[in-house]
Amino acid sequence: MSTISAEAGGARQPGGDTGAASAASGGATEGGPVVRAASTPGRAWAATAGRHAVMVVLSLASVFPIYWMYAGSVRRPADILSQNPLPWPLSLRNYSHVLDTLDVPVLLFNTLVIAAGSTVGQLLVCLLAAYAFGVWDFRGKNILFLLFVAAWLVPLQVTMISNYLVLNKLGLLNTLAGVVVPSLCSTAAILAVLMLRQHMQAFPRELLDAARIDGRGSWTTLWTVVVPNIRPVLASLGILLFITAWNEYFWPALVLQRANSVIQLGIRGYLTQEGSDWGAIMAASGLACLPIFALYVVLQRQVIDAFVRSGLR
Amino acid sequence: MARPRLARAAVGIALLSTLVAACATGGSTSPTSADASSAAAATIPELKPDQKVTITFESYNLSNTGTWKPVIEGLLADFAKQHPNITVKAQPPQNATAGDFTSSIKTQALAGNPPDVAQITFNALDFAATALAAKPIDTLVGKDAVTANFAGAHPFAAAATTLGDLNGHTYTMPYVFSTPVLWINSTLFRAAGLDPANPPKTWDEVKTAATAIKQKAGKDGVYIDCTTKGSGDWCFQSLVRSNGGQVISTDRKKLTFADEPAVGAVSMAADLYKAGLSPNFSQAQALDAFSKGNIGMILETSALQGLFIGGAQSGGWELTAATEPGFGAKPPVPTNSGSGLSIFSNDPAKQRAGWELIKYLTGDHAYTEISSKIGYLPLRTGLVDDPAFLKPWADQHPLIKPNLDQLTRLQPWVSFPGNGYQQITDLMMSAAEGAIYQGKDPRTAMADAQKQATDLLPKA
Repeated sequence: MSTISAEAGGARQPGGDTGAASAASGGATEGGPVVRAASTPGRAWAATAGRHAVMVVLSLASVFPIYWMYAGSVRRPADILSQNPLPWPLSLRNYSHVLDTLDVPVLLFNTLVIAAGSTVGQLLVCLLAAYAFGVWDFRGKNILFLLFVAAWLVPLQVTMISNYLVLNKLGLLNTLAGVVVPSLCSTAAILAVLMLRQHMQAFPRELLDAARIDGRGSWTTLWTVVVPNIRPVLASLGILLFITAWNEYFWPALVLQRANSVIQLGIRGYLTQEGSDWGAIMAASGLACLPIFALYVVLQRQVIDAFVRSGLR
Repeated sequence: MARPRLARAAVGIALLSTLVAACATGGSTSPTSADASSAAAATIPELKPDQKVTITFESYNLSNTGTWKPVIEGLLADFAKQHPNITVKAQPPQNATAGDFTSSIKTQALAGNPPDVAQITFNALDFAATALAAKPIDTLVGKDAVTANFAGAHPFAAAATTLGDLNGHTYTMPYVFSTPVLWINSTLFRAAGLDPANPPKTWDEVKTAATAIKQKAGKDGVYIDCTTKGSGDWCFQSLVRSNGGQVISTDRKKLTFADEPAVGAVSMAADLYKAGLSPNFSQAQALDAFSKGNIGMILETSALQGLFIGGAQSGGWELTAATEPGFGAKPPVPTNSGSGLSIFSNDPAKQRAGWELIKYLTGDHAYTEISSKIGYLPLRTGLVDDPAFLKPWADQHPLIKPNLDQLTRLQPWVSFPGNGYQQITDLMMSAAEGAIYQGKDPRTAMADAQKQATDLLPKA
C-alpha cells in the first residue's frame, strides 16, 4: 500500500514527506484507492513545488550579488549608482579603466602562484600529517592530534605579529613565498588534516597489511597504495584549498607592501576614504572571479564532491 | 574513562594555547619606546653629489588606485629626475583599514624596519613622536630649514605651519588635509523653496532648511559625517570647538569631551536625527545617498569634491559648497583632517634624503598637482592666485573657496596622548554615536566614555 502511494505521489521524494503521505493513505478507512491516489499526488506535488520554490528563491538570492557585480561592471560610469536591474546602455569603460590603472595580468599571475603554491604545499603537509594520524599508532598520538585541534582554534589575528617577525628574520617580507610559507600551517591546512584523517581512518586495513607483507615501507605504501586510492579526495581538497587561498586578503595585505601584489589588494585600492569607484570595483571583482569560474567549469564534479564529502565525513 | 580525560585535556590545551598566543601578541604589540630627545643634537650633513641613497616612503595615498596613486607616482617620478642620487621605494601601508594607517608603521618598527619616511594622520602625532620614534625634523635639519620650507614664493597658510608641532618640536611636516565643508544639493534646496546662494550659517538654520527639504522635497535633510565611530573624530572635534569646547585640556592631561560644549554638539546632532531630518547612515551609505541626490546637505571633507561632482553630473543635480555652520552667535571653528610627513630613519643619509623628499612633496609643484587632481587644500594658498600654478584651475573650480576661507581660522585636529590614543577616540565616538542614533542620554553617554578613556591616558 505504501509502495503504491509512494510511487503515485513521486517515489523519488525522500524521507518523512513520503512516509507522511503513506501514513495518511493508510489511515483512511473509506473512499477507496482511487480517491487516495488522486489526493496524495496532489499534496505531494504541492510539497515538491513548495520545496522547489524555496530552493529557487535561495538560488536567486545567492546568484543575485554575482549578477549585480557583472551588471555594475558594464554600466556606464555615469550610471553606476543606478538601481535599474538591467544595465543599459552597456559600456566596457570600467574594464578599460581597471586595465589602465591596475596591472591585472601581473596581479592575477601573483595570485595564481600564491594559490597554487599554498595548495600544493598544504596538500603535501596534510597528506603526511593525516597519514600519521589516521594510519599509524604511536605513543602520544591523541595528545598530538588534540594540539592540532587546539591550534585550529587560534585565529590568524593572534599569531600574525609573531609570524610577521619570523618572516622578517627569514627575509621573506614582500615576497610571494612570504605569503605561501605560513599558509602551510594555517587553519585551512589544519582543517584539511582533520578531513583527510577521516579518509585515512576509513582506508581498508587489508590493503595496508598486504602492502606490508609485500615488503613495502611506510613511505612507499603511502605513495603507491594510499595516494592512488584517495586521489579524488585529494583533488576535491585541493580545489577547496585553492579557492580559499585565492580569496585570501588579510595575510597578503600584511606581507606584500608593494604595488603589484595580489588581485584582492588591487580591488581594495578602489575603495577609499575619498569615495569608492564602484564601477572599477565591480569590473576588477568580475575579472578576479573569472579564473575561479573557469576552475569550476572544468572541475565541476570534483568541486561539488569536495563540498559534499566535507559535509558527510 | 579515557574520553572525559581527553576532553578535559583538549579544553585545557586549547585554553592554554590561546592564552600563550594572546600573551605573546599582547607583548609584541607594545611599541618600542623611544626618546625623541636622544636624537642627534647637530643637524644632519648634506648629501654629497655622488652619494647614492635609497629610502622607503610609506604613503596611504598609494592604497588608492584610482585617484591618489597616479598623482603620487607622478610626483615621485619627477622627484627622481631632480634627485638622481636618491632612490625612493614607495609602498602602501599594510592592510590599510580606513583611518588607521599607523599600525603598519608600528608593525614594521617592531620588526626593526620602520619606513624611512611615512605619512601619518594628525591624530597619531603624539603616538608617532613618543612611541614610534618619529624624529624631530627641526632638530635634524635645523629650525631655520623648517621655517624656510614654510616660506618660499608661495608660503604656507600660517594656521597650517604648527599642525605638526608637539612639545616644542616639529615631528611631522603638514602635507595634505581638508576642512569640514557643508556640501549642498542646490536642486533640492530650490525644490524646498530655499535659496542655495544663502546657505545656512548656523545649525539652527540647518535644521530649518532640513525640515523644508524633508517636507517639500521628500528627501533627507542633512547628514553630519562626524557622528560615528567609523568616521573618526577630526570633524567631531570641529563641532565641539565651534560650540566653545575642546576634547582634551590645553595641558593635554585631562579629557574634556564630556563637558557641556561637547554634550551640546552631540545633542544638536541627536536632535536632527530624532526629528527625522538626518538618516542613520554609515559614511559610505551617506556618500552614496548624497551622490544620488537623496540628501540635501552633508558636512564632509573637501577631498570628496570629485566624487560629488561626478554624482551631480550623472544625477542631474547642482552641487554647491558652503563653510561649516556654527552654534548660534559663536563663530565656527574648522579643524583639519589629513596628514603630515615624518622621518623615522636613524641613518643620517636617509634622514637627509627623506627631508629632500618632504620638501619636494610640500612644494609648489606638488600642491598644484594634489589640489587640482584630488581636491585637497593647497597649503601654499598663494598658488590659487598665480596663473603659473593653480589660478586657472581655481577659477574653474569655485567649490574650493569655502575650504580656503576656513584655512584662515583653522584649529588643529588634536591627537590624544599615550598608546591608547585610538581607543580613546573610539570610546568618544562610540558614545557620540550611541547618543545620536541609539537614543542614549548625551550627557550620561559622554561622561561614561570619558571616565573609561581617562584610564587610558598616560600616568603622570
